Amino acid sequence: MQLDITLFGIQMPTLLLIFVMSAVVQILLDRMMSDAGIYNHVWHPGLFRTAVFVCLFAIPCLLIYR
Amino acid sequence: MNANNRRIVSFKIFPWQRTLQEWLSVDAPVLIYMAKSTIAALLALWIAMTLNMPDPRTAIFTVFIVMQPQSGLVFSKSYYRVLGTIAGVGMSLLIMGMFAQDPIWFIGFFALWIGFTTAMGLKYRNFQFYGFVLAGYTLCIVALPVIETPLQVFDIAVSRFSEVIIGIMCATVVSDVIFPRRLLDSLITSEQERFHNVLSTLSDTDSIFAAFDEANPTISRFSSGVVGLNATRVNSSFESGAGQKERQHYAHLNQEYMNLSTTFYSLKSIVHAMKEQERKEVLNALESLYSPVVSVLKTLPDTLLAPEDLNRIIRELLTVKNTIQVQLELDHKRLYESTHSAGEDEFISAAYLIIRLVNELHNHCATYLSLLKHRLSGNASREISRVIQFSTHTDNLLVALAALRGSGVLLLTMVFWLWSGWPYATLTITLAVVIGLLLGTMPSPLDGVKDFFKGAVIALIVAAVYDFYIIPEYTSDLLTLSLLITPVLAFIGWMTTRPKLAIFTFGFVFMFMNQLALDPYYKIEPTKFMESSLAALIGILFGGLAYILVNFWSCSLTQKRVAKILRTQIVRLCDGALNVERSALESTGRDLIQQFSTQGRLNMRSSRLVYEWLLSTLEIGRAILTIRRSIQRLYSHYLHPSVDNAMELIKSYFETPSVSGRDQLLSTLQKSLQELHSSPMPTEIGQRKRVEILIVELTLIRTVLINSETFPLLSEDSCN
Repeated sequence: MQLDITLFGIQMPTLLLIFVMSAVVQILLDRMMSDAGIYNHVWHPGLFRTAVFVCLFAIPCLLIYR
Repeated sequence: MNANNRRIVSFKIFPWQRTLQEWLSVDAPVLIYMAKSTIAALLALWIAMTLNMPDPRTAIFTVFIVMQPQSGLVFSKSYYRVLGTIAGVGMSLLIMGMFAQDPIWFIGFFALWIGFTTAMGLKYRNFQFYGFVLAGYTLCIVALPVIETPLQVFDIAVSRFSEVIIGIMCATVVSDVIFPRRLLDSLITSEQERFHNVLSTLSDTDSIFAAFDEANPTISRFSSGVVGLNATRVNSSFESGAGQKERQHYAHLNQEYMNLSTTFYSLKSIVHAMKEQERKEVLNALESLYSPVVSVLKTLPDTLLAPEDLNRIIRELLTVKNTIQVQLELDHKRLYESTHSAGEDEFISAAYLIIRLVNELHNHCATYLSLLKHRLSGNASREISRVIQFSTHTDNLLVALAALRGSGVLLLTMVFWLWSGWPYATLTITLAVVIGLLLGTMPSPLDGVKDFFKGAVIALIVAAVYDFYIIPEYTSDLLTLSLLITPVLAFIGWMTTRPKLAIFTFGFVFMFMNQLALDPYYKIEPTKFMESSLAALIGILFGGLAYILVNFWSCSLTQKRVAKILRTQIVRLCDGALNVERSALESTGRDLIQQFSTQGRLNMRSSRLVYEWLLSTLEIGRAILTIRRSIQRLYSHYLHPSVDNAMELIKSYFETPSVSGRDQLLSTLQKSLQELHSSPMPTEIGQRKRVEILIVELTLIRTVLINSETFPLLSEDSCN
């Protein structure tokens, strides 16, 4: 995949698009986990949340930079 | 040994314990917050510099804007900042693509957008307001600097968006990972405090039956914080750990609290009226009706409530309700056995309100117990299925005024730009728009502008020292730059924790970050620095000018406006849809008062009056809805034309209030009550209940109308 993409004629880094998409996925996942009460069993919910986001963001990034 | 003694002994063993505890609870959070905001800012600077962003200032500025002590606030503000930036950037691309060559269209469209965002900013609450502010001024930041070279707008738009994202990520991650402080915890604490407050107020007979005392703030204590607590609840939804169920519990508690405070106030004002007429016998009867509630609540411990205590209270309240009902019938017969006399109405209304108060208290306790259980074991005892919306009121006149001011200040600064031809005037426009957008919802915007100006001037001095002395002299790489700006960043962090310095800090951060040499390579020139500083300061002055010019709001105007809105509400309830929920009525009213008391320059006396009007309106509005619902379900042969007549008169009285209208309405209400009393009661239980409801509610309306002397007639001018 390319490192830059063109959206409506504007060239922008693919990272930005991946970021926005993983943020959306993260928000949905967060709602679900919070309603399921998963955060009550986690030592540091904030850190856990950040780690989940890092995974969501890093996996597609590694794929395009391979 | 009781708890106090134990504490004293432990203090003797560890003499520094109290000092340490105080330090931990008061000073340590401030230091932690300073460290957190500094770390987040440096992280943002480092990432932005490493990624070679053209303007790392935006990232670090974003950190300070969204950084708050509690994570929930940071998430909420960040979320709306992202949305606002997207809208602003999108609009910049659109406007530059369409009108870059055509000044008239460009300025016209620009002014419309700024007017729209200012108006929307006023319409929406919480940080949604901030999203609109950002959508407005991002247009200035992205579109104006490239007006000569329109094609660069794409680069600026993408880089601006990336920088904002970097700043937001740094702020949210740092605040959620390092020593997180959750908004939900403060929500729980305030809910606990409020619940205890309710119980202690209601367990004191004097809080209802003692005379009104201007100095005794029972009423205001019983009614504060509804809007604020709702905002906290909304913002806490961004945090981890607050399930939907828990948030629904909070919404219900807030709603029940509003109902309780309305009932409490109505009861108190009826009692007050009786006190003035010195009707001791009736008052004693009412007090003895209420005394079982007091004796139940008095048994509660002062410390934190356990679910078992609450369970017991809830059971006892149910029994108390039945006792009161029986007692009421006995008292009624004893006091008014022979004929229908003048004071009977008030007695029935007050007794009915006591029963309603007990009912609502019972509900409130049950919901609170359910929340406690949910928090302790995850099993709520109450199934809450109904979603309560906190409705808000938007006053079109206030919104129109704000839009006029926003567009006006933009056009004024645009004229200044065209007239002077000064390249830096774009900064003037940006600053004026920021001031016009951001301070519009403050109680006294002019003072805010002054604070902002002071902060900006001091920031310019500090930035000058950094730009021309410290940075060129001592920095060689990113590390030294970070070390050198750390003290100022920590200082800004400290200022953010001081609520009094809020606007001053904002001015300081805005100007400091605008003028500090944080470019990927050093390129500060004295002339540029001076000119852009001057342009920004002129912009602040223009913003302040807008608040002086478009500002014809006054105390008496606010009173008239509020009274008119409340009257319209009642009129609408008289003939509008029947599916209005009491919760919508209550929250809209409270939001309305909150809005006007920050914007409308009310003094102490008049804000108390306005609050009383609101509560009368809520009581009358609720009664009207109940009456209409009962009429709908009543068989036609039990209906009395005089009730319909009374409803018509209520409507016309609130449409055009007059002294003669009031007299006529009161006598009609009296007449229809007499008719209801004298006609035979239905034998069927359901129908009988509805007729009783009609009597009670009509009596209540009549009592409220007699007691409310200043509304809707506005007979007193409390503004002088």
